[in-house]
Order: sequence, then structure tokens, then C-alpha cells
Amino acid sequence: MRKLIEFRNIVKSFDGQVVLKGVNLNINENEFVTLLGPSGCGKTTLLRILGGFLEQDEGTVIFDGECIDRVPPYKREINTVFQRYALFPHMNVFENIAFGLRIKKLGNDIISQKVNRMLSLVNLEGYEKRRVTQLSGGQQQRVAIARALVNEPNVLLLDEPLGALDLKLRKEMQRELKRIQQEVGITFIFVTHDQEEALTMSDKIVVMNAGEIEQIGTPLEIYNEPANAYVARFIGESNIVTGEMKTETRIRFDDRDFDCRDYRFRPGELVDVLIRPEDIGIVKPKEGIMRGEVKSVVFKGVHYELMVETKTGTSKTVKMNVVTQHDMANPATQEKISANDFYVDLDDLVNGEMTDQDFIRIANAQAWDEGERDISLTRVTHDIENKPGVYNITFGTEKKTEITVKVYVIHPEYVEDPRHNIGITALDFFITPDEIRESMAISTDLKTWASAEAWNLQDDSPVDITDVKFDFDPAEITEGSYEITFATRGREYKVETTSRHEEGDKVGLLFGPEDIHLMRKAVHET
Amino acid sequence: MKSFFRMSYPYLLWIALFIVAPMIMILLYALTRSGNGLLTFQFTLENFTKFFNDATFMRVLFTSLRIALLTTVFCILIGYPAALFMASLPERKQTTMVLLLTLPMWINMLLKTYAWRGILMNFDLESEARVFIGMVYDFLPYMIIQIHTAIAKMDRDLLTAAYDLGANRWKTFLKVTLPLSVPGIISGITLVFLPAVSSFVIPKLLGGGDYVLIGNLIEIYFLNAGDWNFGSAISLIMALIIIASMWATKKLDRNAQEG
Repeated sequence: MRKLIEFRNIVKSFDGQVVLKGVNLNINENEFVTLLGPSGCGKTTLLRILGGFLEQDEGTVIFDGECIDRVPPYKREINTVFQRYALFPHMNVFENIAFGLRIKKLGNDIISQKVNRMLSLVNLEGYEKRRVTQLSGGQQQRVAIARALVNEPNVLLLDEPLGALDLKLRKEMQRELKRIQQEVGITFIFVTHDQEEALTMSDKIVVMNAGEIEQIGTPLEIYNEPANAYVARFIGESNIVTGEMKTETRIRFDDRDFDCRDYRFRPGELVDVLIRPEDIGIVKPKEGIMRGEVKSVVFKGVHYELMVETKTGTSKTVKMNVVTQHDMANPATQEKISANDFYVDLDDLVNGEMTDQDFIRIANAQAWDEGERDISLTRVTHDIENKPGVYNITFGTEKKTEITVKVYVIHPEYVEDPRHNIGITALDFFITPDEIRESMAISTDLKTWASAEAWNLQDDSPVDITDVKFDFDPAEITEGSYEITFATRGREYKVETTSRHEEGDKVGLLFGPEDIHLMRKAVHET
Repeated sequence: MKSFFRMSYPYLLWIALFIVAPMIMILLYALTRSGNGLLTFQFTLENFTKFFNDATFMRVLFTSLRIALLTTVFCILIGYPAALFMASLPERKQTTMVLLLTLPMWINMLLKTYAWRGILMNFDLESEARVFIGMVYDFLPYMIIQIHTAIAKMDRDLLTAAYDLGANRWKTFLKVTLPLSVPGIISGITLVFLPAVSSFVIPKLLGGGDYVLIGNLIEIYFLNAGDWNFGSAISLIMALIIIASMWATKKLDRNAQEG
């Protein structure tokens, strides 16, 4: 195949923001090339530079052996299918397609001959006289393609042309575009953020990220041998974990050694390990090379997508004391007031992080009048000292309606898990049955009531608590003491399977050496 | 729906009282002789024959049409490039420009016309030239805004697509921008030609006593001569001319859209 287009070190920035960081790319004749990446990765900018609608800051574009940097768009042998088609609303289908030919001042008979050929190429015979505004999205799309192709360009640029179509039509147009490209035999450069679209149509996929090319390859190469974790995540579903090479064919991850079929890395090197969800088999726990519990099941049509937790996260269990609260009434003012006993972390006290408002919130202190209207609590008095113990705290309103409850100042145990680098803490707490019954989001409320927090041991950054375990029915709660366990996310594997499983099932995971793909650690992560 | 419809009764009454009734009265006056009794009407067409058989009246009619047409053409000639320029500006500047353009509309038209009288007195101009300047000044913003709106709502990608398909800037203008701004030009024409043809303040103040347009004629017959019958007939003739020209522009608009 002959080289048709060459981008040499293309740099482009908008308002000081670098969009293309020196892109080098060769495109051959008759190739279907897809520029794939998320929005803002620079793919459309690269396309527009090739079309001549934007000028690069640095670098050169070579087209058919000649530099085209100074050639205006209307003189380039390149045509574009725009994202929103940009059909001329004041012209019918025929005139839209004939536009470029009329500019070239071709004879009427030649024009109608060429336009008719295009109409049959895109399956729109008989639509000549239709107004373009009366066409469906898919038909407009076809007109836009015909309008560009009738000029017999060497290259057709397509800027996310299928984005506005619904799924079924999009699939149809994907096949259609591929057919048209093969029929006319010219280079198609297709821009999309849809990985499935890229895999379906392309001869060559160019994966872009943040103004740079991450990988160039055939769809099969990109899918089976992604260059790094970024490409792997962008194309298809993936499980990616960090591993360390033990020997040239042994890789250690998740505290176990596995055989692999990749000889590119030296012993001791850290690599990203990719296992595709469809490569993992679900078996009985004893037969698997890993064991885990099914955390979620999502039905996807052909298959189920399971999340299997092979290792639990870091957890902390606390006691929830459910007690009925007694209102204190002040007959003089017709006001009522209530509050719970509560626990306070000594560290928060010492650090001065507890304000009166915090006490009111944790004690769930509130006051109201005979009309059930809330009254603000203006006075908080207590004898709390900066050491563990039981103290009294009194909340009061302007009119001296008061309630006194107990404060347990404790030194809670922090659970620190150096293996996952995660710390977690939570406090015992008191709560009324009503509050549990009225909770709209019980897991979130439990986290708040228990002041549950998890953090990264290295940099103190917060870590999500993804799991709240309890064994009561919030609707049927009675007084008593309950255990609640808060946990961070453990190691989870995404698995695609056709067999049915329930949440909570214990399963084994099975995969072979050929399913373990190793990738160089990415320099930048997004 | 029914209860909402009932809410429109006051407005229907208003329309009947202040729009439909006067129109019927004009029709009645135009078709009768003066000196009618309350219930006895003397129907006649002589008001119309009087108008069409008098060379002076016909001249006034043609002068009115001529100056309105001239004003409209000049508004397009000045307004189109101005609107095109405005549409090429960044969006925020466009808003400012529209504001600046509409600013003179906040001032009473009578005041503006008096100001023009003061300015134009310093020059040795024909009365028609003075009226023409005053009219173009007064109606130009309507034209610019209409054309600008049509150009501004055009998809920019259409221009890019035209370049892409081999058209240079001039051809892109001729084949894309111009045809797509035709609806704007047409509504501009409606907004300029109609008030221009019936204007009577501008010719009265800028034209001097000898410059009479059809609007002034109506004013004279109603207020000075007290001949309401003939005044009504002229009003009716003018109304018919306006209706005819509106129909013509509508037709033109539809043709332009069907391209």
C-alpha cells in the first residue's frame, strides 16, 4: 500500500491549551482509518488540520508527496462529512449533491449522470427532488456522504458522522460506510469516540489521548494487545491490576504467581496486567484459581456482567444502639425538646474540630412548639474534658426549654490495613427507631450516624466506603443493639458469563496463561 | 380549554369596538356621500372615481409608491453589508451592535424628524431628497436587524461545507449566505416598505408644504377639509395597496424558500 498522508510532528494549541502535542502519523491509500479517543483528545483537531479548516502551530502535513500547509480547503482533494451533516437547507437532495460539480461548472448532463450514480451508491434513488429538511437522520447522512464523494476526492474525512443516529441505524450505517469505502476504494478517515464503531469498520485504529497517539494498529491488535492500561480501558471491558514479573514467564499479582505468555519484561519489573472479562470462566469455588463472592449481577442481553470480589476490603464494625427517645416538655412555654446520647472521638475534641453545631447534629437535638414548628437551639453547655469518659451536655432554646444527654468521649480503634494502604474508622452510635424507619437511603445515613471514614494511609486522601453490612430490616426495627460493618472496595473482577448467578454466590474464577496480557505501565493516567 | 377561551371575551370585545367597528365605518364612509342621516345612506362610488380621475391624486399615489420603493432598495443596499459585517463579529459584540442600532428607536420619531429638519435646512436639497434621507434613516435599523437575524441563525458549518466542496468565499456567499438570508430581506421589506408608503410625519416635516404623500392627503381630507367620505376612500385605497404588497412579498418568500 502506498503512503498517502503523512503528519509530521503536528502541534496545535488553543488559547494556550495544547491540544496536539507533536503528532506523527502515516495513512495509506485505500485505508479505512479511525481516530479514536474521548472528547478533547485532539482527534477532530487533527482532522480539521487535514481538511484545511485549521492551521497547525508547528509541523507539516504531506499529501501525496507534497506539503499542503499553504493550500486552502477548496483546493484540497479532500472532502468532509460533517458531524451535523451541514446540508444546504435551501437546496433539494439533487442540488446538494451537485454543489461541488456546479462550482466546477460541469455540464448539466454530466452533473446529473454523476449525481445519479451517487444516489444509487448511497441507496437514495428517487429522492432527488426531496427537500433535505424532510429527510430522516440516516437519509441526511447518506446525502452528506454522496455530496462529498461526488467530487471524487482521494480522501474522505468523517467527523463523528453517526453520533446523532439511534443505535439500530448506527449499526446499519457502519456496514453501509464500510461497503461504500470498499466500493469507491479511497481513503476514509473516520473520527469517533465509540470503540465499537472503530472495531467494526476500521483497517487501522489510531487511539488518541490528551493530544498524543497511544497506539496504532489493526482492531485485533488493539483489542488483544493493547499498548497500555489507557488503551485497554478504552477498547472493550477490562480488569487491570498491577503485577510484578517474577521470572520472564511468571507474573505475581493479587499475592499469587501465574504463568504467562509474554517475554517482553524483565524479572522485577512492575507491569499492568489485563484480563478481559470474557476470558474469565465462572466455576465452582474449588475448581477456580481464584475464589470470590458475587457482588453484583447486571443483565446485558447476551450475557450477564458480574462483579466478583476476590478479596474483601478494609472493614470496621460498630454497634448501633436503637433506643426510643423521650421528649422533654416545658409546660411554661409549650415547647418540646429531644436529643440522643452520643459518642465523640477524642481526637476530634483535642483537635478542636467539634463545634456546638456538630454536637447538635450528632445528638440529633431538636425542639419544636405546639404547632410542630421547629425552634432553633441557641444554648449548648457541657462539662466535656479532653480525656476519655462520660460527660453531660445540655441543649436549650431561647425560652429555656432544656434537655441533658450523655456524651461518651472515647478513643476509637482505627483499623489500618498496610497491605491495601487503607485506614478506616467508625463510632458506635445511638439512634431512634423512627429515624431508621424514615431513612430514605439507609446505607448513606448509617455512614453519617457512625461518622464512618476511610483514607489512604500514604497521603491521607479520602477513600470510598462502598460496603455497609447490617442484618436488620429498617422498616421493622425495634429497640436493641445491632452490629454494622463498613468496608472499602476489595479486589473485584468483572466477569462476562452466560450462566445465571445471584448476588452473594460463592464462585471460583478460571483463566489461563494466554488470557493474561501484560502492558507497560502508562506514564500518564487519566 | 373552554374556560380559557372565556377569558378572551374582553379582548374580543375590545377588538370589535376599536378595530372592526372603525374599519366598517371607514368602508361605510368611503362608499357614501356626505350628509347621511343616522339610518339613511346614499351609496356611491364617486369618491373612488374622483380619486382615479384626478391627475394630482394619481401623482401623489405614484410619488408615495416611488419614494417607498426607493427607501426600501436603499435600506437593502446599505443594510445588507452592515448585517453581514455584524454577523461576522464575535457574539458579544453582535449584541452590543444590535443594542446600538435599536438605540435611536427609543427616541420619539417626531423629535428625530425635527432634528433632521434642522440639519437638512443647512443644505440646498430638493424636498424629495430630504424626505428620502429622513425615511432611510428611520427605517434602516428594521432592515439591518431582520437581515442580521437571518444570517446569524445560519449554521456556520454550511460555510465550511461550501469551502470544503470547492467554493471560494465569493461563491460561498452567492450560493449559500445570500439565498439563506432571503427570508430576512423579505421581512425587512415588509417592515420598511409598508410604513414608508403610508408615512405622513416625515414628508410633512422634511418635505415642506409642497411635498404631499398619500398619508398627508388623508390627513388633509380628514382634519383640514373635513371631507371624511373622500378621506376614507383614500384610506381604503391605501389599505388595498398594502394588502396587495403584503401578498406579493409572501408569495416571493415562498418562492425563495422553495428555491
